Amino acid sequence: MAEITFSKKSLERYEWLLTRYPSKEAVLLPALHLAEEEFENIGVKEMKYVADLIGIPPARVYGVLTFYTHFRRAGCGKYHIQVCSTLSCALRGSHEVYQRISERLGIEAGETTPCGRFTLSKVECLGSCDTAPMLQMNDDYHEGLDLELVDQLIEQWRAELPEGGSS
Amino acid sequence: MSEHATTVTWTLNGKQVESPPGLTIMEAAKLHDLEIPNFCYHPGLSIAGNCRICFVESNRSPKPVISCSERIAEGLEIQTHSEMALEARNSVMEFQLINHPLDCPVCDKAGECVLQDHSYTHGPDRSRFEENKTIRHTKKLGSTISIWGNRCIVCTRCVRFCDEITGTGELCVVERGDRSVVDVFPGLPIENSLAGNVIDICPVGALIGEDFKFEARIWDMKKTSSVCAGCSRGCNIEVQSLDGFAKRIVARENPEVNEWWICDRGRYDYRYLLAADRVTDASAGGEPIDSDTADSSLNDLVSENGGIVGILVDPMMTCEELHLVNRLSSTLSDCQVAAWSTADGEAESFPNGFTISSDLHPNRAGVGAIIGKDAFSTVAKGLRRSLDAGDIDLLIVFAGFPHPDLEKKWIESIGKAKVRIVFSLQSGSWCEGADLLLPSTAPLEKEGSYLNQDGRLQRVRTLIAAGQQPFPSELVRLQALLTHLGERPRSVSSSGVFRELASSVEAFSDQSHSTLGESGCVLSSGKSAVGSMGGDA
Repeated sequence: MAEITFSKKSLERYEWLLTRYPSKEAVLLPALHLAEEEFENIGVKEMKYVADLIGIPPARVYGVLTFYTHFRRAGCGKYHIQVCSTLSCALRGSHEVYQRISERLGIEAGETTPCGRFTLSKVECLGSCDTAPMLQMNDDYHEGLDLELVDQLIEQWRAELPEGGSS
Repeated sequence: MSEHATTVTWTLNGKQVESPPGLTIMEAAKLHDLEIPNFCYHPGLSIAGNCRICFVESNRSPKPVISCSERIAEGLEIQTHSEMALEARNSVMEFQLINHPLDCPVCDKAGECVLQDHSYTHGPDRSRFEENKTIRHTKKLGSTISIWGNRCIVCTRCVRFCDEITGTGELCVVERGDRSVVDVFPGLPIENSLAGNVIDICPVGALIGEDFKFEARIWDMKKTSSVCAGCSRGCNIEVQSLDGFAKRIVARENPEVNEWWICDRGRYDYRYLLAADRVTDASAGGEPIDSDTADSSLNDLVSENGGIVGILVDPMMTCEELHLVNRLSSTLSDCQVAAWSTADGEAESFPNGFTISSDLHPNRAGVGAIIGKDAFSTVAKGLRRSLDAGDIDLLIVFAGFPHPDLEKKWIESIGKAKVRIVFSLQSGSWCEGADLLLPSTAPLEKEGSYLNQDGRLQRVRTLIAAGQQPFPSELVRLQALLTHLGERPRSVSSSGVFRELASSVEAFSDQSHSTLGESGCVLSSGKSAVGSMGGDA
C-alpha cells in the first residue's frame, strides 16, 4: 500500500485547524473534509492516515466517517450526483429528474457507473427549495432543473471527463 | 439544603428515602434494593444514556427521564412503575425488538440475556412491525470474538470498554440509524489482553466468544465461584461447566480485586485441563499402575525411607495442601521443604488501573506464609545443593504448573535424588525417571484457598462434582499418607484442613472457609508475609 500524505498546503491548513478546535477529536470532521479535498475518496488507507495524523484510534475515524452520508467513501465516482427528493423538489418533478439521470447513466441510486465516473444518490433536502427541483454535483448546485437541462448537464460532464481519460 | 448535606431526601415510589448526594437515580434505587432495568449502563463504564430502557417518571419533568444519568435531588419524586414509566419502557422494548432476529433458540446468550429478561418483564408480547428487518453483519472481530450484528442493540458498552478500560479503542459503531452496528477498523482486529470482557458485558447475544459458541446452554451449566490461577492477582471468576467439563470462565465482580474484569489469559485458562500431555494416570518407573497401587506405593516409599527427605512445593498449591506438606515434613525426621516456580510472564497495566501480574502463580504469598518466607530463596538453594551432592534419599516434587517453562535450573538437580515421587499436572522432563508419578489436580479442580499478592485470602472451588474425581486429589493422598505414617486420621474436607491450618499458623488464625465468603478476606499479617519474601533461588 503506497504511503499517502497531505500536501504542504493541507498540512498547514490542518495545523491552523488545530488552533481553532478544543480537542483532537473535535478536529476530526474538518480533517476529514481536508482529506476529501486532498484524496477525493476516503478509504481505509485515508482513514488510517487521518487517524495517525490526529492521534486517535482508526476505529474512531471509521465510526465518524460512516455515520455521515456526505463523505465520499472509497468506490465513489469522480462525479457524485446527489438528487434532492424532499418535498419541494418532489412536487416540482425531482422524480422525473432522477429517472432521466438514472436512464442516461444506467445506474440506480447508490450505484457507480462501471467506468467509475459517476455515482448517483437520492438525498434529502439540500436547502434550495426556492429553486426546486435541484441536484448537487460534487460541490456545485444545479438548480431549476428540467429534463432538457439534465441532458445538457450530463453531456457537459461526459465531455469534461472522457471515458478512460487520465484526469 | 445546606451545601455540605450528607444525605438527600427524596421519594421513591411514594416512600421517602435518604441517599448519599451525587448518586444517579439508578444507583440510589439500587441501594434501596430496587433494580431499574438497563442495557447501556454499566457501573464500570461512563454513562452513555442511549438505550432508554431505564425510563422513570419524575415530578420535575413532563416527560420520563433516564434514571442512569439523572441524579437524585432534594424533594425529587420518582415513580419507577407508574403508567408513564411502564409505557415508556414498553415502547423502548418494542423499538429494541423491531430489528432483532428473535433467534433465542440458537443464541448463546439465551438464558442470561438482558434483552430477553426485559422483554419478558417490560416488553410487549407481540410486534406491530410489518416491514422487513434490517440485516447487519455477522463476522469475527478478532481471533476470539465475533459479532452477530442483527442482535446488536448498539448500547456501546463494548466500545466504551475499549476506550476507557483498555485504552486500545479497537471498536466503533459504524453507519447510522437502524444500520448501525459495532465493528473494528478493517485490518485492525480486537486483540488486547482484556478483550474477552466485551463478551461478558454485552447485554445481548451480539458479541459471542468463539470458544463458547454453540458449546452449551446457559441454564444447563454448573456455576462454580472460584479464583483465577493465572497470576498472583487472584481475580474472581465463575467457572461454568457441563458434565464436569469447563465450558467457559467469566469474570465475577470483586471491587477489591478485579472489579468486573478478567484478562484473556485467565478467561481461557481452562483449555489445558484437557491438554494432550496432561498426566492422568499414575505410573511407577514408567509403567502405568492403578490408583490403589499408586496410593500404597506412595505410602510405602515414604514410610520405608529412613534417610533425608526433600519436598519441592509449587505456588499453584492451595494453602490447605501446603499445610499438609508442612505436617508431613514435621512427621519425617529429616526433611526440608523448598519451593519452585516457573519463569515470570509479561506484566501488563491498563489506563484504568487494571494490572496483570508477571508472577504466574496464584499462591506465592501462601507458600511464604505457610512454608516460610525463604522457601524460594535460601531453603531452595540449600535443597538444590543437597540434591547436587547426592544427599537426598527421597524427593517429593509437586509440579502443578500449567505453564511449560519450568525453572530449568532445577531439572538436573531433581534427577539426582535417590528416590523421586512426582505429582505432576503435565508430563515433562521432571517426570522422566520418576519412581512414582502421580497425576496432579489443576487449580480449577482444587478445593481450598489462595493468598494473593495483596495478602487477600480467597476460596478456590473445584468444578468437579463430589465423587466424580478421576483420581484422588493431593489433599486426599497427603492425608492418607499422614494416616499411614501414624498421624491421627484427619478430615478429608478442605475446610477441615483449613481449620487445622488456622490453629497452627498465626496469620490464618481468625479465618475459616466460611469467613472468606465470596470475595475473600485480607489477612492482617498477610501483607508482611508477601512484602518480606525473598526472590527465587
